[in-house]
Amino acid sequence: MPPPPVRSPSRLLLCHCRLPFHISPQTRLPLSHNSSVRRRFHCSAVSAVSALSSDPQIAPTDLTTTPPSSHILSIRESLLSRRRTAADVAGEYLDRLRRTEPHIRSFLHVSETTMREAEEVDRLVASGKDLGPLAGVLVGVKDNICTAGMPSTGGSRILEGYRPPFDATAVRKLKEAGAIVIGKTNMDEFGMGSTTEGSGFQVTANPWDISRVPGGSSGGSAAAVSAKQCVVSLGSDTGGSVRQPASFCGVVGLKPTYGRVSRFGLMAYASSLDVIGCFGASVIDSAIVLNVVSGHDRFDSTSSTHEVPDYASFLMSTDHFESTPLKGLKVGMIRETIGDGVDVGVISSIKAAALHLEELGATITEVSLPSFSLGLPAYYVLASSEASSNLSRYDGVRYGNRATVDELNSLYGDSRADGLGPEVKMRILMGTYALSAGYYDAYYKRAQQVRTLIRKSFKDALEKMDILVSPAVPSPAYKIGEKVNDPLAMYAGDIMTVNVNLAGLPALVVPCGFVEGGSAGLPVGLQMIGSSFSEEKLLRIGHIFEQTLPNYRFVPPLL
Amino acid sequence: MATGMTMSDATLLRRLSTLLVARSGCPRRMRLFSSYIVRGATFEPPDVSHLADSARISLAPGEVEDFGPKIRQVIDWFGQLQAVDLESVEPSVRADAEVSMYKREDTPETFENREAIIRVAPSYDDPYIKVPKVLSKE
Repeated sequence: MPPPPVRSPSRLLLCHCRLPFHISPQTRLPLSHNSSVRRRFHCSAVSAVSALSSDPQIAPTDLTTTPPSSHILSIRESLLSRRRTAADVAGEYLDRLRRTEPHIRSFLHVSETTMREAEEVDRLVASGKDLGPLAGVLVGVKDNICTAGMPSTGGSRILEGYRPPFDATAVRKLKEAGAIVIGKTNMDEFGMGSTTEGSGFQVTANPWDISRVPGGSSGGSAAAVSAKQCVVSLGSDTGGSVRQPASFCGVVGLKPTYGRVSRFGLMAYASSLDVIGCFGASVIDSAIVLNVVSGHDRFDSTSSTHEVPDYASFLMSTDHFESTPLKGLKVGMIRETIGDGVDVGVISSIKAAALHLEELGATITEVSLPSFSLGLPAYYVLASSEASSNLSRYDGVRYGNRATVDELNSLYGDSRADGLGPEVKMRILMGTYALSAGYYDAYYKRAQQVRTLIRKSFKDALEKMDILVSPAVPSPAYKIGEKVNDPLAMYAGDIMTVNVNLAGLPALVVPCGFVEGGSAGLPVGLQMIGSSFSEEKLLRIGHIFEQTLPNYRFVPPLL
Repeated sequence: MATGMTMSDATLLRRLSTLLVARSGCPRRMRLFSSYIVRGATFEPPDVSHLADSARISLAPGEVEDFGPKIRQVIDWFGQLQAVDLESVEPSVRADAEVSMYKREDTPETFENREAIIRVAPSYDDPYIKVPKVLSKE
C-alpha cells in the first residue's frame, strides 16, 4: 500500500478546518467492532465547517481521518445562520483562484460579475426568501458548455472571443438554483484529448504536481475543484473526459447515464456519446449538482423523461452507519482492467479499495467482459466520425474566427485550418475517411455492432452484479509533454472509460489512494459503474466508501 | 485471436502496435490489439489531401506530411474491427435501447435574443450575413 501523503504545516491552508464541537474521530468505533457504529452524519451536524473558514482561531483538528465534507451544505448553513455572507465566500474563492492561477492555469475566463452576484445572494438571504440549493456556490463551467454573454470557446481558437446568446440548459438550471459561475475552465479542444494539452490556449497543470497534466478533456474543471478555486464544476464526458481527470486530480467525478442531463448548449463532439458530468470534492456535492442539472429538456430530444429522484437525500437520510453498511452488495471487479499494462501502483490501490468495500460488507468477484478491448477502436471510429459531422458547422460564416479571403471555399478551408488544432484536424480527417462511400460498412457500421456487443456484455455482468469496479485510468497523471506526439499511446489511456460511454451507463470515480510521484503522491481514483439510471445506487455506495476510507486526505500540496 | 478469424482467411497477419502504456520505469507493455488485413478487404490507404478537401480544411503541405503517417497508423489500428465476427449483430445507433417518444409541438418560436446572434456574425449587412463570392470551380 503506498504511503499516505506527507503533510506539512503550509498545507493546512487548503485543508479542512472544523469547529471544536464536531464529532471527533475518537468517537468513531472501528468498523470491525461488532456493535453497530453510531456516527453523527457529518453534514447533518450543523457544526461541520469546510475549508472556507478563514477564522485564524480555528485550528485544524486531526487531519488523518476526517472524511471530506459537503462544501455546498457548509456554505448554505453559514449563509442561513448569517455567520458568513455570500460575498465573504466569493471573495475567498476569488482570492485563492487568483493566487493559484499562475501555477495551474485552469481558467480560460474568470467572470467579472462574481462579487455582484454574491451581493445579490446576500440580498436574497436578508429578505428571508427561499434560497436555491446552490445559493452562493461558486461553479466552474467547462468551456464547451455555453454561458450567455461569457466567452465559450470549446478550447478552440476558432471560437476565440465567441459569446453565446444563450445558456446551456445545465447552466441555466445551476443559475436558477442560485449558483454563481465563477469562470470557464480549460479543456482539450472540442473535447478531443486526454491531457488538456490539446487546448488552443494554455496548458493546465495538475495541482498535485505542476509538471504533470490534470488529465482531459475536462482538465481545467478537475484542477479547479482540486485546488479549491471553485466549489464544484461541470465537465463533459465522451470517452472518459470527466472520470480520467477526476482520477488524476484526486476529486470525485460523476458521469451520468446518457440522456440524464440535457446536452442543449454543450458543443457537440460525438452526439451519441457526449454527456455533461460534474466534479466535486465529495460525493454529496456531486449528488447535489446532479439533482440540479438532471431532467428532461424539450430542447434535447435525446434527454430522458426518466424521473429524477433526490440523489442527495439517499446520502443524507441515514444518520448512522451499520458496521457493514454495504452488506449484500455484489461488486464485480473487471478482470481486463487489472492485468497487463496497468501501473502496479494503480492495481494495488484498486485492490486495496476492493478490500475496503469488503470490509464494508460487499462481496467482490472478478468478472470478465467479452469484447472489452474492442471498445477502444470502436469508440475512436464512432467519435471521429460523429465529430467530423458535428464540427462542420465551424466554418467562419456565422460565428467564430473568419479568415480574410476573396473566395468562399477558401473561407471555409482557411478559417478551419487557422482555427482548428492538429488533433481536431486529424480526427475530422479520420472520421471523414471512415464515413466515406465504401468505407461506412467497414468502419462505422462495424463500430456500431461492437457497441451492441459491449452493451450486452455490460448488461449481462450487471445482472449478476450490483456494480462493476475498475481503475479509471491505467496510470497516474502523465508528465506534461509525455503523450504529445503519439496519438495511439494517448488513446490507449482511455481503455478503462470508453466502454462505459458506448453503453451509455453511469459511472462515479472516487479517489481511493495514491501512487509514488510528485511531492505528496499522485492520486488514483476508483471507477464504479452501474446500470442505466442507477446513479442513486452509485452515489450511495461512493459516499459510504468515501466517508469510511481511512488515512487518505485528497488535498493537494499548496503551490 | 479475435473471434471468427481463422489463419486460412488471413493473407497477412501483422501485429501492429504493442504500446508502452505505463510510465517510464514500469516494464509492462499493454498488448491492446493486433491489426489484421483480411483477404479481399484491403482498403485504399487514406489520401490525406483528398480527405482535407472533403472536410474543407486547407492543410499546409507540412501538415499533410505530418498527419499522413499518424492518420494511417490510426486507420490501420481501426482495421482490427474487420477481424471480428459480427454476423447477425445489430448495429446500435445509440447507447440506450429505448427511444424517447416525447415530441415537442412543431410550432416555430422566436428566439428572444436575436441581436446577440447577429452580433457574433463576422460580417453582417442587415438582413444578410455576408461572405466572399463563390468563384466557379473548373
